[in-house]
Amino acid sequence: MSESDMLARVKERLRAVLRRSAQTSAVERLLISTAALGLAVLVGTVLILVSGRMTTCTTAAATYFGVGFCYDPVTVFDRLFLGALGDPMNPLFRPLHGEFAPPFRKGWSPFNAAMAVTLRETTVLVFTGLSVALAFRAGVFNIGTQGQLVAGALASALGLLVLAPIVPGGAVGAVLLVPAGLCIGAVAGGLYGAIPGVLKAYADANEVITTIMLNFVAAQFALYLVSNHFQRPGSQVVETVPLPDVGTIPSVVFDPRTNFSLLALAIAIGFGGVIYYLLQYTTMGYELRTSGLQPAGAEFGGVKTKRTIIASLTLSGALGGLGGAMYVMMILGNFQTGVPSYGFDGITVAILAGNNPLGVLFAAPLFGIIKSGSIVIDTATSMPPQLVDVLRGLIVLFVAMPEFFRLIGRRAIADEPSVPNGGDEDA
Amino acid sequence: MTPAISLDGITKRFPGVLANDDVDLTVERGTVHALLGENGAGKTTLMNVLYGLYEPTSGRIVVDGTERSFEKPQDAIDAGIGMIHQHFMLVDSMTVAENVTLGTEPRKWGGLAIDRDQARQDVVDLCERFGLAVDPETRISELSVGVQQRTEILKTLYRGTDVLILDEPTAVLTPQEIEELLSVFELLTDQGKTIIFITHKLGEAMQAADEITVLRDGRNVGTVDAEATTREELAELMVGREVLLEVETSSYDPGAVTLSVDDLTVTNEQGIDVVSDVSFTVRRGEVFGIAGVDGNGQSELIEAITGLRRPQAGVIELGDREITDDDRRERIDQGMAHIPADRHERGVVMDFDLVENGLLGSQHAEAFVNNGRIDWKRTREHTETIIEEYDVQPPNPDASASALSGGNQQKFIVGRELARDPQLVVATHPTRGVDIGSTEFIHERLLELRAAGVGVLLVSSKLEEVRGISDRLGVMYEGEFVDTVDPEAVTEEELGLLMAGEQPAQEVSADERE
Repeated sequence: MSESDMLARVKERLRAVLRRSAQTSAVERLLISTAALGLAVLVGTVLILVSGRMTTCTTAAATYFGVGFCYDPVTVFDRLFLGALGDPMNPLFRPLHGEFAPPFRKGWSPFNAAMAVTLRETTVLVFTGLSVALAFRAGVFNIGTQGQLVAGALASALGLLVLAPIVPGGAVGAVLLVPAGLCIGAVAGGLYGAIPGVLKAYADANEVITTIMLNFVAAQFALYLVSNHFQRPGSQVVETVPLPDVGTIPSVVFDPRTNFSLLALAIAIGFGGVIYYLLQYTTMGYELRTSGLQPAGAEFGGVKTKRTIIASLTLSGALGGLGGAMYVMMILGNFQTGVPSYGFDGITVAILAGNNPLGVLFAAPLFGIIKSGSIVIDTATSMPPQLVDVLRGLIVLFVAMPEFFRLIGRRAIADEPSVPNGGDEDA
Repeated sequence: MTPAISLDGITKRFPGVLANDDVDLTVERGTVHALLGENGAGKTTLMNVLYGLYEPTSGRIVVDGTERSFEKPQDAIDAGIGMIHQHFMLVDSMTVAENVTLGTEPRKWGGLAIDRDQARQDVVDLCERFGLAVDPETRISELSVGVQQRTEILKTLYRGTDVLILDEPTAVLTPQEIEELLSVFELLTDQGKTIIFITHKLGEAMQAADEITVLRDGRNVGTVDAEATTREELAELMVGREVLLEVETSSYDPGAVTLSVDDLTVTNEQGIDVVSDVSFTVRRGEVFGIAGVDGNGQSELIEAITGLRRPQAGVIELGDREITDDDRRERIDQGMAHIPADRHERGVVMDFDLVENGLLGSQHAEAFVNNGRIDWKRTREHTETIIEEYDVQPPNPDASASALSGGNQQKFIVGRELARDPQLVVATHPTRGVDIGSTEFIHERLLELRAAGVGVLLVSSKLEEVRGISDRLGVMYEGEFVDTVDPEAVTEEELGLLMAGEQPAQEVSADERE
């Protein structure tokens, strides 16, 4: 067989895989994601065991088949997934010790601190996930959600610091300030998202490049502004003075010290619904989706492509900005530089959700659990945080990859002629 | 004498589609055999099976009395079968001789280098043997489409082909080039080669072939002698019922000018003028046709008129409003319906279902939208009406556009566009890939609109179509209107010459009819 034949066969195989992954049903996708999660855990287990052998420790954390290991994968994954929820289950392996235990632990409350971490991370990730997904549906790769989030976070913090002295305190102040802070964040993020939109629409600048560059601009500008003009006196880190309590989102049910607000989560879920409605039931959403799927078709249908690009990036930026406002007003209580990579995690959330706004509501908690769980691992085991990061990366990679293949598969088969209709081309 | 090719009970099944259903086909040596059928009848699939591109689900392939099974095209080539696809596979920057010998070049210096002289000589010999006139030293990019096709034929002959399959070979040719191709067929069969060509044009099949096999819905519905058959018989075989080949046009009584194009110049992506100073008008109640070989500026002209491309210079008026600077949406709102040439790219959004596609272009129309909120229920009803009226198959509004065959996509697009209640319809290849029955229906609908006082601008590469339903006919060549003629007075030969850029003899001109 000649080399070109080989190549042709490999290509054909690849195309077949892509075609297959593009046609998976919803149930299949769920099964694939679950299987991928299982596989990630399996590979992670091997990794934990191997590094556990390569490390020296005084007492083995676990002994399997007579061999001692420094880290115990059972403990690690138990902490990662169950620790993140505040241990709702009795230890799973108790039957091995000859005792019977009911599955749910007595005294477990869903409003525990670990759960709060999981849900507050989820809240911010819903916004960044929606931000990326919305842009993606319009055919725009917004890698700049991170920067838009920083812009929104900074603006809402500074805005609230300016507004706080002029509004009354107490409940009235909160009712005025909280929406104001969220709006400022959304507007700032939206404007920051509009920049790459305008650049793409009128200067044909690739949005992947401009948004990535604008991420740096946002981070550095925030550093400059806070450290030179709004630095909290006496603080070792670059941060603003704390926001007044009326400017933070009130926690509901959960302990205020957990920095999580059910209200914020409810708003996030509400936005998932709003964006879904926007995409499915409005002219704007229809035009956005048309542009994303087939730009030439959108042009034919009278869609103003430039306007759609700018609108989608502005909206996407506003969602990122809202995520930033939530981060400031719920989690931090002020603005600090070194914002965690919510924006980039949003890309993975969006991919896992298949860019469906409702899917984002299900994909974000998974990432929330992993983030919160890795904090629990740090305190519960001696495993180094770097290895925890590797496990996180593995899970994200495994779970997101099938969806990623589905996305590029859809693009690939859109380009190839439909086979069964034979000669219907170019009559 | 054993037949060159004998297919026995070929069945080819794709997921959800039965493309070939128990097809028998016998092709005698040294003859031209036409495979006739509507689009989607399974002609190309059958030939792809013979060429080893697809493995048949069941059935036998017998070549020269020996049963064969082809796993890949190379197996078929080894058995002496060659195929020329609709899209040529030539390297533009290489010469004819290089292209013909590509991959099987004669070698020298113990195989280290290509023997160019030998390659050139081989091609010259080949040309002489079959009486084909091609200069082996010319680059492909400098050749006309007809000669490029001949180069493709040489390529297969060079590889020792005995049976030559051509997929829609005439689709891209001018009438003169078609004549030349048909004489090439004769030269080849004189030398004992066998030719199978795929076509959906009745006339061509009758003119060029010795025998004609008609496929319909993946089945062989009859093999007839080309001498003994009639157009009516073939048409009936193709569609399974009698069809009227002549379109009845009502009397020509044009009204006010609805579209006026004045000195329009359009450039392509490279900044080259592809439409130069074109002027014409379309009146209410008339069909203005534009004929020409594809690629002579028609698509750019139409894009400029419909608002998909910005013209360099000139004025376009719709009704009494200048629309030169209006964008696409404003033109739709002004009552311009457009059947685009490229249905996959523009006409439908492939990943949308038909309901979503039914909204394309109307997403701001009051009929379907309240305050930016889409009324999907009404859109669905609208879509169901189109599906029913235009017999779109499968009749499922929830099917995605990509699940439809090309012809059905086209019917859907035509239905959607004509439902806009337009004052002007800009139709590009409105019946491309559509079966005869639906073609007839689409023509009738266009003529109904004409009778109702709508202006129709029609671009088509099918000569019968533009001649059949146009009241006036502009012929385009290299971005200019060579002439505007009366389609009834002009002969096919005259039209062919105009399409090839010959200046008109000063006689019939429809301008005088105005």
